[in-house]
Amino acid sequence: MSGTLLVTRPKHDDTTHYLFYWAQEIINLAKGKGIKVLDLDKERANKNEFESMVAKMRPSFIFLNGHGGKDRITGADNKTLVRTGENEKILKNKLVYALSCSSAKELGPASIKAGANAYLGYSDVFIFSYESNKLRDPLNDRTAELFLGPSNQLMISILKGHAAKESFERSQQCFLQNIQKLVMSESSDLSLIPYILWDKMHQVCLGNGEIVL
Amino acid sequence: MKQNKEKDKIENGDREMRELVIARLKTLPSDIKLSVGSVGDFTRDELIEHVEKKDELGKKIIEVQMEYLRMLKEGFFYERNTVGHEA
Repeated sequence: MSGTLLVTRPKHDDTTHYLFYWAQEIINLAKGKGIKVLDLDKERANKNEFESMVAKMRPSFIFLNGHGGKDRITGADNKTLVRTGENEKILKNKLVYALSCSSAKELGPASIKAGANAYLGYSDVFIFSYESNKLRDPLNDRTAELFLGPSNQLMISILKGHAAKESFERSQQCFLQNIQKLVMSESSDLSLIPYILWDKMHQVCLGNGEIVL
Repeated sequence: MKQNKEKDKIENGDREMRELVIARLKTLPSDIKLSVGSVGDFTRDELIEHVEKKDELGKKIIEVQMEYLRMLKEGFFYERNTVGHEA
């Protein structure tokens, strides 16, 4: 499979720590499929490196991990990487997945208007839960998996060659399966259902849903 | 007089909603944290405090819980292939 994937994954607090490790699975999968991966990790997830890497390497697929707001995605130390009205044009001709809060509300539509092929993300805050004693082993945190598993499913599906819309639907299905699994169980994790459902309902697919990597 | 009654009704409704959300939060496992984006990471007890304080985080948690209860009422769990938003 051809194409280049650019990943930003800061790691400066518990939330970004989790996203950092869960993104590693996607990086490994992409590399295994022969996709060139540009990994802007930790402090390298900054605006200068990001803009320069996009201009120089022209990745077709961008996976943004970090905090955000309705008009922005941030990188290391919550400093802005992409912001509406500032540099959303950088996403032109890209397939974008933003695992961050709320950016699909304004930045998503603005980037589509600026020529992005598709923008997948969340139109409100992305909430996830994790086990306090799993900070050193985030990939084995079954609680976090209820939220980050469906998110990764979206990326896995795109990397397998499925279209943006289909990948979105597979991720939606994965959220639903996790909810159903909890409903059928008698676990105390049942109380997490409102938050999984929240993420599911605020995950969006904007732009050309037929685009593939 | 009528205005006061209306105000009381709203305040009672808000209080009942907060009490309901707090009761639901108490069922969260004590060893987990909830990441709420850049707002931060919170334990069950911290979430309850924010709901009691009626601050922005507390309001967001109430919104999440009420959205869930609304969907429950609308029969979310009886639907198949419930997909979110597309555009």
